[in-house]
Amino acid sequence: MSAPPPADAPATSGGPSTRSRSTLGRWIDRVESGVGGILFLAIVFLLTTEIVLRALGGVGVPGALPVVRHLTLWLAFLGAALAASDDKMLALATGQLMPEGRWRSGARALASTVAAAATALLARASFDFLAVEKEFGDVVAYGVPVWVALLVLPASLVLVGLRLVLHAGAGPARAAAALGLVGGLALGHWPQAMDGWPVVPVLAVFAVAMLAGAPIFAVLGGVAVVLFAVDAVPMAAVPVETYRLAVSPTLPAIPLFTLTGFLLAEGKASQRLIDVFRALVGWIPGGTAVVAAVVCAFFTVFTGGSGVTILALGGLLFQALGADGYRERFSIGLLTASGSLGLLLPPALPLILYGIVAEVPIPDLFLGGVLPGLLLVALIAAWGVREGVLMDRLRKATTGVSHRASFELRTAGAALWRAKWELLLPGLLVGAILGGVATPVEAAALSVVYVLLLQCVVHRDLHPLRDLPRVLRECTVLVGGVLIILCVAMGLTSYLIDAQVPMQLLEWVQAHVSSPLVFLLMLNLFLLLVGCLMDIFSATVVVVPLIVPLGLAYGIHPVHLGIIFIANLELGYLTPPVGLNLFLASYRFERPLLSVYRAALPMLAILGIGVLLITYVPWLTTALLGS
Amino acid sequence: SIATVCAPAASATTLKVATLAPEGSVWDQAYRDMGQAWADGTDGAVTLRLYGGGVAGDEPATVRKMRIGQLHGAVLTVAGLQVIDPVFAVFEIPMFFDSYAELEHVLDAMRPDFEQRLDAAGYAMLGWSQAGWVHLFSTEPVRTVDELKTLKLYSWAGDTSTATMWRQNGFQPVSVASTDILTGLQTGMLEAVPTTPLAAASLQWFRQTPYMQDLGFAPLVGAIMVSKRAFSRLDPVHQKVLRQAGQTTEDRLFEDVPARDSEAVAEMSKRGLEVVEVPAEHEQAWRDAAEIFADHRRQGLDDKAFLDRVRAVRDAYRAAHDTP
Ligand code: NA
Ligand code: NA
Repeated sequence: MSAPPPADAPATSGGPSTRSRSTLGRWIDRVESGVGGILFLAIVFLLTTEIVLRALGGVGVPGALPVVRHLTLWLAFLGAALAASDDKMLALATGQLMPEGRWRSGARALASTVAAAATALLARASFDFLAVEKEFGDVVAYGVPVWVALLVLPASLVLVGLRLVLHAGAGPARAAAALGLVGGLALGHWPQAMDGWPVVPVLAVFAVAMLAGAPIFAVLGGVAVVLFAVDAVPMAAVPVETYRLAVSPTLPAIPLFTLTGFLLAEGKASQRLIDVFRALVGWIPGGTAVVAAVVCAFFTVFTGGSGVTILALGGLLFQALGADGYRERFSIGLLTASGSLGLLLPPALPLILYGIVAEVPIPDLFLGGVLPGLLLVALIAAWGVREGVLMDRLRKATTGVSHRASFELRTAGAALWRAKWELLLPGLLVGAILGGVATPVEAAALSVVYVLLLQCVVHRDLHPLRDLPRVLRECTVLVGGVLIILCVAMGLTSYLIDAQVPMQLLEWVQAHVSSPLVFLLMLNLFLLLVGCLMDIFSATVVVVPLIVPLGLAYGIHPVHLGIIFIANLELGYLTPPVGLNLFLASYRFERPLLSVYRAALPMLAILGIGVLLITYVPWLTTALLGS
Repeated sequence: SIATVCAPAASATTLKVATLAPEGSVWDQAYRDMGQAWADGTDGAVTLRLYGGGVAGDEPATVRKMRIGQLHGAVLTVAGLQVIDPVFAVFEIPMFFDSYAELEHVLDAMRPDFEQRLDAAGYAMLGWSQAGWVHLFSTEPVRTVDELKTLKLYSWAGDTSTATMWRQNGFQPVSVASTDILTGLQTGMLEAVPTTPLAAASLQWFRQTPYMQDLGFAPLVGAIMVSKRAFSRLDPVHQKVLRQAGQTTEDRLFEDVPARDSEAVAEMSKRGLEVVEVPAEHEQAWRDAAEIFADHRRQGLDDKAFLDRVRAVRDAYRAAHDTP
């Protein structure tokens, strides 16, 4: 439902941006991109050095961990500013459903105005937080105070606010957004003005703005700040949580694995992987469809729920399926569903994020996700085989010959050999983590180094000077767009905790639901709804703290709860009207949304069965966990 | 819940207080009863809203939330107290205290000094808290200092100078985040972790570390505190009620917690934990190693005299009670 930034995806916070930049604008952009790339490389370097020094029996780089965490904070907010500059903040794609012309530009003006006001409030709140921290002088490392590290918050939020105004549209729209920005700053200066505001109209304004295409971060953050102010709690309560998440020890794994996915998507790695799986399973009926599911799952493991998979592989696979005679509707449905396959397989980002938020050991989630993840891949693959058998039968009836490819050992061997380095990566990562060589974060850094060497040195698909800066910038934009949502969503979660919502929810549910089975059914329905309305990342941050105490109360294994959660949200990617994959597929395959909806329906049903199996057969999750 | 138990009076003040203690634990119960005493003693004018189980974040996050005014109070252990004032590091020094009796004496005698330091930092201290006694849990039995040197020892990720100190003295510290401890133990990245029996039992670390050294490392001391910004707004009579309730809670925890330590050890022993006895002739070597740590901590403090004063009070107690 939220849109990914790569390749001018349509579902970003608005229409075509003003591409003409002033010289100053270009310089600012160059500096931001450069700093973003350097931050990325510094994080990778520090973490890899940690692993090496530990292996050699040293103590590691002094202060490496706190430094890495604060570099991640900077990366997140710099990336967000860059995303705003490119007009690629993640937003609901509902704006796309609106008719072009006056309605759409009106919606954009409204969305930009509310978003600019919310961003101004957030900037002011972070400034308040910074000012308090400055009084106390806590230190990150090497004598650098925390407040200096925090400067990035108000600075980049102000930049985001200004860029929202710039991209608001024509003269009057821009003026309205500028007014929103000023209004937000004024409210931030007198937060007591918001004390006791009626909550429902406030939420309604933000909901309308969200539907009109306001960036998700601005809506979640704005709601959080205003709700705190309504309760007369200092607005700095939001950035305090932002900071807590941004510097949490495992968070750097998210940008690092995303970078791994971006690097893998460069060059011919996807073609090599497709060749391998075609050689291996292309001979079975529906082989190409199975290949599509498996290759997409493999990629999504690294690209996470960002939608990069459909954009990077969709074209290649769509062609391959078409060449083999698959019906278009089937191909689109298959690829739309496959774009989120693999979210349960290690080391997919949703597993890591769930581990961070629910405080469940990440290796346990990795092991727990294996069978459920394979089950979903197998279900989609089975649907592909069914299609293949039907197709084959039809062909035989009309032409009298079967068109099936045969398995050739030599071809398979050669393809395997060419893709050996890519195929080794998952094993290497999981081995490093389970073997005690690296923490999940360090393993993520290791995977970046591995893929960098692979792409720059072994295959030479990526030129370190010509291509790397571009890839780093694209990745920084995506990472910034995702992390800023997570960071402010933490503020909203903090409000819910402050208002004791989880406790009240627990009491209510316990009073009304006695059977764990009924509870699980309700959980499925609830999460399906959440999956329709929220993206997987903000849903994890906001919803997980609500359901973890419930799961405990009903005796659900914490890892099983996590797998249920992610599996349900995976469905959300396919659920009309706002599933992310639906929009991406519509964009990538240049087909109307409605026909994509239709194509995805059978997949939704199949994956729905899978999710029910995962929910009611806990063994699937716990089998590999051991004691 | 507290919110429903304590019906707020007309001009009620609700103090939001955070703790890492899990819901339903002995501490959770003690703090809830403390809240009841506040409400009863002030006719509902001051009530407690407890955020337990770490829902408000870890201790550094809790301190930040008190600073901005979102939280009014907290029960912090040394991890959070050191963020407020580095002298609380004294409670981290291994083998600085030998028994609960000795600890209690020093806490009582030095109470005004610690209270004053917290006051200067902006907090009213209502009482001490006890979280148990830290022991070494390990994958192999550890009797001698040399045996510990063969194991990968958890060292808090942020504190490189301590890790360096361990390393220079022949130990193998491994710096990972506290959230990575269980994983580290499972994967072999870590082999020894200092923690309380209660934490080892409830966090399930002991399954990976079936050996507990009998020699205690240090008490996990905490303080029940409210920010002065919130406290000074209360009626002086009500302030007194809060202080009294804090003292009652402190006394209760001193009475309850030591017994919980041994209960947790007994419980874990049934499930495979082995208590390893340090031979008497090796005790001095452990004390010497601890002294290196104490020196290192002292060097890191601006106010070294304060640490020396705490030590003097302890030594006076030892002299009077004829212990080494
Ligand atoms: Na925590
Ligand atoms: Na972790």
